[in-house]
Amino acid sequence: MRKPFRARAVGAILGLALVAAACGSGDGAEEGTPPEGDPIRVASFNFNESVIVAEIYAQGLEANGYTVERQLNLGNREVVKPALEGGEIDLVPEYTGSLGGFLEVEQSSEQDTMWESARAAFEELGVTLLAYSPAQDKNAYVVTGETAEEFSLASVSDLQPVAGELIFGGPPECPERPLCLPGLEEVYGLEFAEFVPLDAGGPITVAALEGGEIDVGLLFTTSGVIAANEWVSLDDDMGLNPAENIVPAIRTEVVEAYGDDLVALLDSYSEALTTEDLTAMNARADLDQEDPALIAEEWLTTNGFLE
Amino acid sequence: MTTWESVQEFLLEPTTWSGPDSIWVRLGEHIWVSVAAVIIAGLLVLPLAVWLGHIRRGSAVATAVVNIGRAVPSFGILAIAFLVLVQMGAGVGEPWAVLVALIALAAPPMFTNTVAGIQAVEPATIESARGMGLTEREVLTGVELPLSAPLMMEGVRIAFVQVIATATLGALVAWGGLGRYIVDGFARQDMGRLIVGAVLVGLLAIAAELGLSAMQRGTTPPGIRPDR
Repeated sequence: MRKPFRARAVGAILGLALVAAACGSGDGAEEGTPPEGDPIRVASFNFNESVIVAEIYAQGLEANGYTVERQLNLGNREVVKPALEGGEIDLVPEYTGSLGGFLEVEQSSEQDTMWESARAAFEELGVTLLAYSPAQDKNAYVVTGETAEEFSLASVSDLQPVAGELIFGGPPECPERPLCLPGLEEVYGLEFAEFVPLDAGGPITVAALEGGEIDVGLLFTTSGVIAANEWVSLDDDMGLNPAENIVPAIRTEVVEAYGDDLVALLDSYSEALTTEDLTAMNARADLDQEDPALIAEEWLTTNGFLE
Repeated sequence: MTTWESVQEFLLEPTTWSGPDSIWVRLGEHIWVSVAAVIIAGLLVLPLAVWLGHIRRGSAVATAVVNIGRAVPSFGILAIAFLVLVQMGAGVGEPWAVLVALIALAAPPMFTNTVAGIQAVEPATIESARGMGLTEREVLTGVELPLSAPLMMEGVRIAFVQVIATATLGALVAWGGLGRYIVDGFARQDMGRLIVGAVLVGLLAIAAELGLSAMQRGTTPPGIRPDR
C-alpha cells in the first residue's frame, strides 16, 4: 500500500529517497527504452481545473515515453466513475472527499483518513488511488461582496437567519449531493427560498451570480473568479466539507502493467502540485481563456519536469 | 430500484405536479418557446422566400440554406448566443439564447419549402392566370400561395417538430423547458425524472406532428387534394 505524502514527510530521509527515486526513474525512461504496453487513456471531469491536472499527467507521461490518449472534459463523476470502472478510461485526477461521498464512505476533514477510506472503497472496484497531493479544492459557497455586506455574511452559518430569502444556484446534481443542498440542510439547517440548476462551478454559475439571478452560488475554493470579482467564499465553519486532496485515480490493471515507474512519476506531480498553483492556473484558464494544455506544460516546465 | 419504480417515484412527488419545477410549468415553457421560435423564424424568412419563389429564382440559394442549416449544430449556436447575450446583460435562466438557436433551426426548412413550393406551381397555370388578367399580386395570393400551401405547411411542420426536440438543449444553459428533467435526471442519475422528460418531449413532438399534418391537409386547396 502506498502512503500519502503527509505520512512520508514524517521520515524526511525516506521522503527524500523516494523523491530521488521518482526523479531517477523518470530520467531513465527518457534515456532508455520507452515503456511498453497499451496507451494510457487519461480523462478529466468537465471543468478547467480537472482538464489542467489531467494535461499535467498526460504531458508528463508522454515526455517519459508513455503513449497517451486523452478523453478530457468527459463529464461529471456520474459519467467518469463508471468509465473508469468499466475500463473505458485509465487515469483521472480525482478529489478524495467528493469521491468518498460518491462511494458512500464516511467523510472526514482529516486528509489521511479521507484518502484511506476512499482508497479502500475504490480498490474493491478495480481502481487504485495513488498518493494524494497537498493541493485541495473544496466546494465553496460564494456570495457577492454586496450580498455579504447586506446580510453581514462571513461564514456559512451566517446564512441561517436569511437563507429563506435567498436563491441558491449550483450544478443540477446539487439536490442529491451530500456536500450540496442536503449537507447544507443537515449540517447548517439551511433551507433556501429556491434552488436554480446551473453548471459545475462554470461560466453559467458565475454569470448568474454576477447578474443577481442567484444570491449564493456553488463554486470551488480554487476558482480564480472569486478573488477577481471580490466575492466572498463563505467559511465552512461547521466542517461540512471533507478533505478534497487531488489524487490520481488509475485502473489497478494499468498500475500492475506498468509498475513502479509509472506510480513514481505520477507521485512526483502530485507532490509538487499546490492549492496556490491550482488557483493561479484556474484564473488563467477561466478568466484569461488560456489553453489548459499550455498552462499544464508551463507548470511542468516551471517545476522542472519538462525542459 | 428498477427503472419503472423510479418513474413511479418521480410521478408521485408533489413537486412534479405543482411548483416552479412541475410538469405544467416545464411543458408551458417548452411550448411557448417552440411556438415563438417558429413564428419569429417564419416572419424573418417567409417574405424573402415567397418573393424568391415568385420571381422563380434562388432555388440554388434555397438548397444551400437548408444544407448549411443542417450542418450548423444547434448546441454551438446556443452556447455562443448564451455567452454573447449574457455579456450584453441578459440574465441567466432567460430564454433568449434558446430562442436564437431555435430560430436558426426553424428557418431553413421553412425557407426552402416555401421557395420550392411556389416554384413547383405549374408555369402553365401561372401563365393562364396572367392570361386571365390577374395582376402579379393576384397571381401570388390567388394562385401561387394556395397551390404551394401544402409544401409550405410541411416546412412549418418539420421546423416545429425539430424545434420541440431541440428545445431540450436549453436546460444546458440554465433555462427551463422539459429538457430540465432530462439534464437534471442525467446529472442526478434519476432515471425516473429522465424518462418522464424524454417521453413528454416525444409526446409533444408527436402531438405537434399530428396537429400540423391536419392543418397541412386543411390548407390543401380542394383541387389538388390527393383524395378528391
